[in-house]
Amino acid sequence: MTAPAIAAPAARPGLRLSPFEIFVVALVAFLLAIALFGPLVAPDSVYRSDIANSLMPPSFDHWFGTDDQGRDVFWRLIVGAQTTLLSAFLVVTLYSLIGVTIATVAAAGPRWLDETLMRITDIGLALPGMIVALGFAAAMGPSLQSAVIAMAITGWPITARMLRGIMRQTMEAQFVAGAQVLGVSKWRLMTKHVLPNSLDVLIVKWAGDVGTTVLVLASLSFIGVGAQPPSAEWGATIASARGFVSTAWWTVVAPGAAVAITSIAFGLLGDIIQVRRDPSLRGN
Amino acid sequence: MLLKIDRICKSYAAFPNPPTRVLHEVSLSINHGEALGLVGESGSGKSTIAKCLLALTKPEEGSITYDGIDVIHAKGEDLRRFRREVQMVFQDPYGSLNPRMTAEELIGEGLLVHKLENGAQARRTRVAEMMEMVGLNPDDMDRYPRSFSGGQRQRIAIARALVIRPRILVCDEPVAALDVSVQAQVINLLQDMQRKLNLAIVFVAHDLAVVRHLCENIVVLHKGVVVERGTREEIFGNPQNAYTQALLAAVPVPDPAIGRARRAQRLAQTTN
Amino acid sequence: MQIVHPMPAMPEPTPKYAPLVTTSGLTVDMPLGRDGNSVRIVDNIDFSIGVGERVALVGESGSGKSLTARALMRLDRLARLSGRIDFDGQDLLKLSEREMTRYRGSAIAMVFQDPMSFLDPLMTIGDQVAETLRIRGVGKAEARKRALAVLDELGVDRAAERLDAYPHEFSGGMRQRVVLAMALVGEPRLLIADEPTTALDVRVQDQVLDLLDDVSARRGLAVLFITHDLGVVAGFAERVMVMYSGRIVEDGEVEQVFAHPRHPYTRGLIKAVPRIDQDLHKLYAIPGAPPPPLARPSGCPFHPRCSESFDRCVSELPAVLNVGGERVACHLHDPLRV
Repeated sequence: MTAPAIAAPAARPGLRLSPFEIFVVALVAFLLAIALFGPLVAPDSVYRSDIANSLMPPSFDHWFGTDDQGRDVFWRLIVGAQTTLLSAFLVVTLYSLIGVTIATVAAAGPRWLDETLMRITDIGLALPGMIVALGFAAAMGPSLQSAVIAMAITGWPITARMLRGIMRQTMEAQFVAGAQVLGVSKWRLMTKHVLPNSLDVLIVKWAGDVGTTVLVLASLSFIGVGAQPPSAEWGATIASARGFVSTAWWTVVAPGAAVAITSIAFGLLGDIIQVRRDPSLRGN
Repeated sequence: MLLKIDRICKSYAAFPNPPTRVLHEVSLSINHGEALGLVGESGSGKSTIAKCLLALTKPEEGSITYDGIDVIHAKGEDLRRFRREVQMVFQDPYGSLNPRMTAEELIGEGLLVHKLENGAQARRTRVAEMMEMVGLNPDDMDRYPRSFSGGQRQRIAIARALVIRPRILVCDEPVAALDVSVQAQVINLLQDMQRKLNLAIVFVAHDLAVVRHLCENIVVLHKGVVVERGTREEIFGNPQNAYTQALLAAVPVPDPAIGRARRAQRLAQTTN
Repeated sequence: MQIVHPMPAMPEPTPKYAPLVTTSGLTVDMPLGRDGNSVRIVDNIDFSIGVGERVALVGESGSGKSLTARALMRLDRLARLSGRIDFDGQDLLKLSEREMTRYRGSAIAMVFQDPMSFLDPLMTIGDQVAETLRIRGVGKAEARKRALAVLDELGVDRAAERLDAYPHEFSGGMRQRVVLAMALVGEPRLLIADEPTTALDVRVQDQVLDLLDDVSARRGLAVLFITHDLGVVAGFAERVMVMYSGRIVEDGEVEQVFAHPRHPYTRGLIKAVPRIDQDLHKLYAIPGAPPPPLARPSGCPFHPRCSESFDRCVSELPAVLNVGGERVACHLHDPLRV
């Protein structure tokens, strides 16, 4: 069989982003910027109570109004972004590292090790994150830390399973056989040849995961087993504003919208990366 | 004798059917600097032999000996030496190179793995030399496989295999996926390299004309069994086995007169 | 004294055939990226295929041979075609999409390289062969009868019993026959075969080619055979057209072209193929590689690789000239060359 009849341009299609893609990337960048620099620019008043001014509706002075402690809702969101997003990143990083390690060992090792690890992964898959979080909260006392640990412990199985499958497939590729014949060590084979060519799909997943993790962490905080008030974490903020839904809607809607927008933005980012990788998926 | 294969057998499980026999009592040997062709159609087992030769898979029975090393059970220093001295070039120029490594990293990897040069700079120099030897521009060494054409990628694959100066090069259909004009370039290159480096070559292919061009000795395979072996002159000039004869009669020749004559002959045979 | 006029030569089929398909100035542009840019893959070609004639279209990567064939059936929706494709008096490029579908399958049919990817693994072969007729409104029983007849004609043993078998139960060669049956059941006048034997072993390849030869002779079916394998061309075709970088560079009867190739590219190709019927010699390798369509050289696209090029070749695209009964696009053959 001859080489492709149309010698298409070897490089990927031009890196010109559509307006939609630019919007999503800008939004994510904006959220990350807030997470990193928010607390630096927020006024001190965010940390102090001012009961006299509590539950004020949105105004020129307070764009999203004030909460039950009189703190500016807008700036609290900005400050809370750091906790929320960094926790989400931490969770995803932790379970990814665990998942990648287990997948690599399973794919590289002997059959029996692979089987054992996959059975353990299956058990792990059966454990729902939120229930485990409740368990940890009961054991350690509810806190953001217990929620993060619980999510990290229950998040790795999916990564491990997906990645191990992909790695097994990549290992069938001719260039892997070529490296084996060259005498490349198992370690180098996995880290330099197999893993880099298997992570593509996972990067898409991880981008979206940051978004869903923000949502789950917020939910945990909302039911009281994650970050506790007076943390500015968005879920905790919603929890402490729960009683004021009908009287001061802005205290609930603002953080709620922040959670929603963030998780959607990261999800869309994942989609964009996926479409760019594989243009045949366009239109989904 | 450099490499000897003695009566190897291999089957693939096909549960619940009985296992499919891929190789049956195949024996062959290769001497220093010899070019041996393994020909057969699809399903003949020739690619499986290549994989066994490279210790990518193990036969169930029989033995493979390379320069005193028992290849099937090789470990440690023996295995390392084997891996340094027996290399491969495979068919698919698009799948045989790690897309995430530059040409320099790919070609230089063998030097790194076998600690054949002192330091990155020395490796780069060797890589540049090798690239020139195979007809590539050393200035391109920091580019990725996707920037190269099919023929150039095969050259990279050849450079990668030969930079560590192996004694045997196993090629499995190395030119089948290339354009005709580029095939000739790569065939000539392999011939040159063989002579310059006194390399033994095992050339696995279905294209008999290419095999005849490169190999002085030929083994013909059919459904996992060696049906005939001999020198180039013997096989092409005086084939003994009916299968070999049928195979030769079917090789397309770029000469209309021969093509027509053959068709007439085939027609006459079927009407009889 | 014969005066040779350096005017573009008109395409004609081999004299004994009446023309069936004739293209003039056929050009295929494929879109590139979002902004309406396109790249020219097939550049202004003229050729003609006669009724019942067997023509081979030879080329390497980037030659445009596959797209040319597909253009005859207007298969690529995204492709922008211009020029004229005259099929028995009708310009195919002027037809609406609906009118064109009537031609596909019944006037012109196509078979591809890999029969397995063309066959639906979940449909019986009888149904698949009959489908071409069913979508044209032919009744179930009638379609099945004709499917059986075609499979028989193509040498599928015990076709009646195997009508209800599935593709995976057949060997490669048999599947290619099934695919051929699907193409022929609609009684087309032109069959386009795009590398149909490339994936097959040589003995099976022979069988399929013999079959095509037989069918073509019996039905008066014209065959346009696309391939890169010169050996296959020599064995099967009456006429051969050589394409390079979107242009037809040589077009003539097979015996002539192989015995006295006139274009340096054709000469190079023929010399580059190892042969079992000749003494061993170093293979001639055309230096360089076929250019990608986006980086087509100026003037004659072959000039960077041509050992006989001169200054005119760099700046001027050669016209297709009539040279001794063949059509050749090369300045070397222009009697008025400077």
